[in-house]
Formats: sequence, C-alpha cells, structure tokens
Amino acid sequence: MMVKLSVCFGPNGAGKSTTMNMLTGFIEQTSGEIIIDGYNMLKKPKKAKKEIGYMPEGVPLYTDLTVKEFVTYMAELKKVDRKQRKEKVQKIIEQTGLKDVQKKLIRNLSRGYKQRVSMAGALVGEPKILILDEPTVGLDPKQITEIRNLIKELGKTHTVILSSHILSEVSQVCNKVIIINKGKLVAIDTPENLENKVSNKNCVYVTVEDVDNKMDTIKNRIEGIQKLELVEENEDGTKQYMIESKDGVDLRKILFTELAKENITIFEMKKADSTLEDAFMKIIEGGNK
Amino acid sequence: MLAVIKKELKSYFFSPIGYVVIGIFLLCFSVFFYLTVLPSGSVDLSMLYAYTALYGLIIIVPILTMRTFAEERKNGTEQLLLTSPTGMFKVVMGKLLAALSVIVITLLISFMFFFIVKFFGEPDIMTTLVSMLGFVLISIAALSFGIFASSLTENQVIAGVITVAFLIISLFITDISNMFSGFALMNFYTNFTQGVISLENIISLLLFSVVFISLTIIVMQRRKIVK
Repeated sequence: MMVKLSVCFGPNGAGKSTTMNMLTGFIEQTSGEIIIDGYNMLKKPKKAKKEIGYMPEGVPLYTDLTVKEFVTYMAELKKVDRKQRKEKVQKIIEQTGLKDVQKKLIRNLSRGYKQRVSMAGALVGEPKILILDEPTVGLDPKQITEIRNLIKELGKTHTVILSSHILSEVSQVCNKVIIINKGKLVAIDTPENLENKVSNKNCVYVTVEDVDNKMDTIKNRIEGIQKLELVEENEDGTKQYMIESKDGVDLRKILFTELAKENITIFEMKKADSTLEDAFMKIIEGGNK
Repeated sequence: MLAVIKKELKSYFFSPIGYVVIGIFLLCFSVFFYLTVLPSGSVDLSMLYAYTALYGLIIIVPILTMRTFAEERKNGTEQLLLTSPTGMFKVVMGKLLAALSVIVITLLISFMFFFIVKFFGEPDIMTTLVSMLGFVLISIAALSFGIFASSLTENQVIAGVITVAFLIISLFITDISNMFSGFALMNFYTNFTQGVISLENIISLLLFSVVFISLTIIVMQRRKIVK
C-alpha cells in the first residue's frame, strides 16, 4: 500500500473544499473522472465511498448524540461488520483520545474534542484514504499540535489528504503539496522541491556602516554582482543592501574582504533564505498573471 | 437502515419532540373521543379515527418530518450521509420508519379507547384494526410528503409550513378539480374507518408514498450536482 501525506493547499476560495467534496462523492464533478482505489466514484459509489474517511469542513456532527453513539452510528453507516463493531469503535475512540469523554453529549464538548470526534468518524471502517478538510482550523496551539501529531501518526498507515491554508502546517505535517488556485492545479511537489524551485540562492543581505558612501562602487569592484539594491536605512546609520550574484557564486567571502578595504564595516551578513511562503506567493502570483 | 432508524428514534425521544408529538396526538384522540363517541352513545370508533386522521395528522406530521433533512442540511451532517456507503434510499426509509413508529406507538396507546367502550358494549375489533391499518397507511403517505418538503430546504420552518399547507389543501383539493383526486389523502382513508379494506385505497396511498419517497431521493442526490 502506498502511504502518503498530501496537503491540498491554496488561498481562500481556491477550490480546496470543492475538490474534497468531489473526491468524497458529495458533489458530482462536471467533467473528468474520480477513481478511488480503482473504483469510479460515479459508477461504483458505494465501493469507492467505503475506501474513504472524510472529515468535512466545519466538523458537522450530530450534537444530540454522545461521542460513542456518534462513532457507532458512523460505523453502522459505513457498514462495519456487526460482530466487530463494538470492538472497533472502542479502538478508534482510544486512538483519537476520546476515551474520557465518550459518554458526553457532543454538544457539550470543546472545539478541539469535536474535531477529534469528527476525525474518529472519518477513521471508522478502516478506510484506506483519509480526507481531512482543514482539520486544525479554530484550535488553540496545544490542540493544533495534538491534532497534527495524530495526523502524522495516521499518515503511517493511511493515505492522508488534508487541506489547509496555514503554511507552517504544510511543511510540518506533509510530504507532498498540492497547490490549487482559482480552481486550477498550480503545483504538485514535495515542500523541499517547491522551496528550491523559487529559492533565490544567490542573494545576500548585508548591513553595513558606510561612512564614505562607497557602497555603489563595490558593484564595479567585484565581478559577479548582478544587482545591488538598498533595502533600508536603519536609524543608527547602517544600511541594509541586497546583493544578487550570478548562479553558483557565493559572494560572502569576497564581500568580506573587499568591503573591509573600502572601510565599510559589516554589521550583519546573511544569505537569503527562501521559505515555503515565498514559494507559495510566487506560484500563486504566477498563476494570477 | 436500522442504524438510521435507531439514531432518529434517539433524537425523537432524547429530545422533547417525541413526547410532545405523542402527547398532542393522544390529546387529539381524547378530544375527538369526547366529541364523537360520547354524544352518540355508540361503541362505534370510526369517527374517532377519521377525525384524528383529519386534524391530528396536520399537526403531528410536520413536527415529525420538518427536521429530518432540513436539519441535516443546515448542520452539514448530510455530508456524512452522502459520503457514506449507505444509499439514500435506506436513509430516507430509515427516517420515514422512525417517524412512523412514533405514530404507531400512539396508535397502540389509542387502543385504550377500544377498551373503554368495550366496558359498555361490544365494539367491533376488526373495524378498529382496519381503521388502524388505514391510519398507518395514510400516515406513511403524509410523512413521505413531509420528508420530501424537508429535503427541499434547510429551513425547518419552511419545511413544516409546506407540509401543513399541503395537508390542509389536500382536504379541499377535489373541490377544485377531480384531476387532483390522487392528492386527497383523506378520501382514501374514510373507507378504512368503516372497516372496509379496498385494494384501490391501499394502492393509492402506497403509490402516493412511493412517488414522494422517490422525489426525496432524487432531490437529495440531485443536490450533489447543484451545490
């Protein structure tokens, strides 16, 4: 079994939830085919739906049932074998950390627990694929970590597709990113690859004290500088520059020696770091153009 | 299907709805017992069931059905239903049977009126049983319409009002045109209260139910494309 943790990712209104609703058979697609574990969603919906555990957006739950009743109901809807039902329900309740609240009415639970109940509902019936729509939205940081750990744990045994618009979540949880914008697939890759794709490796930021205003001459002195730009002037008189070089040239060493010769003092020098955030912005902006 | 019935019954009886419905229903029975059976001094219960079906169902059916699908839609739980491998037919039937069982419970309690009059005379048990059979059939028909109305909207009040309006109009609809006689549910029922089982009436009521159950399923499935 191929096990993967993917994140469906995009700005608000990009089509994440719609895609998930289509994958789970809640909405019919207007064109194309959805194949779940070999079953076509339109032609064999029952078999396809059996392989999917879905946690919809906004965690819809039957609030007048208790946790255990809800999970049992989901097990019945998912056609879990009667003999094993009790045992399996109990296992899932334990797995999702709901044991202490299993006899409480869902209505009285906190948001974090509701999220877990919804997750338990998705887990019922041992689906191969878990589709989680914004599983961490509206949670406090502690709960977010807990849910993320749970997802990571589940990712070891299930194919998990989750949607999110929180960037930090993406790099922490998943090993594959699907970026959607305005209903179109824009990119699909690992987070590392996406970062590399847009990274500006040849960019160095230096903060200097330039008493004689000689910074501009540096460009002519050092071969390989393509661009030299003033980023900001700090209050203490130092200036931050962005220096871009040709591919494969590391400017840091030569800058250090050359700037010293010009009597320019380096306060800080760092290589530009590209993040998934940059990647995301670039990809989305590219799509908008 | 059993799962849906169980869950629906739970929400009827863990909330006041189930008790309110049974209470109002029994009140209807009692009032019409007082108004029809007592003054006539006979042991004939046919008017009791006829009047309760006429007025009782108008109140009871909307209360039972208005939340069935409207609530699911509003809370988003219909996503759980539609993405589960359980077919829509079973879900609709489950909800229908759960609502029906609330009515059946009341009907069983209404047997007490039979025993009350039995104390004074010899009421015909068969007529009473046929009345109840007819009552169950007309209830299925009315509930199917109520559930259909509930599937149309996410607003429970609208679903309830549509059902009430339909049930009231169905009483006069043959006065407008005989073309609509298929919707006049009470006309199919009156024979039952006399102890007459007519195949035509049974089929008419069942057909009516089948039409609206099918329409409900179509609406629920179709919603997938529209949303």
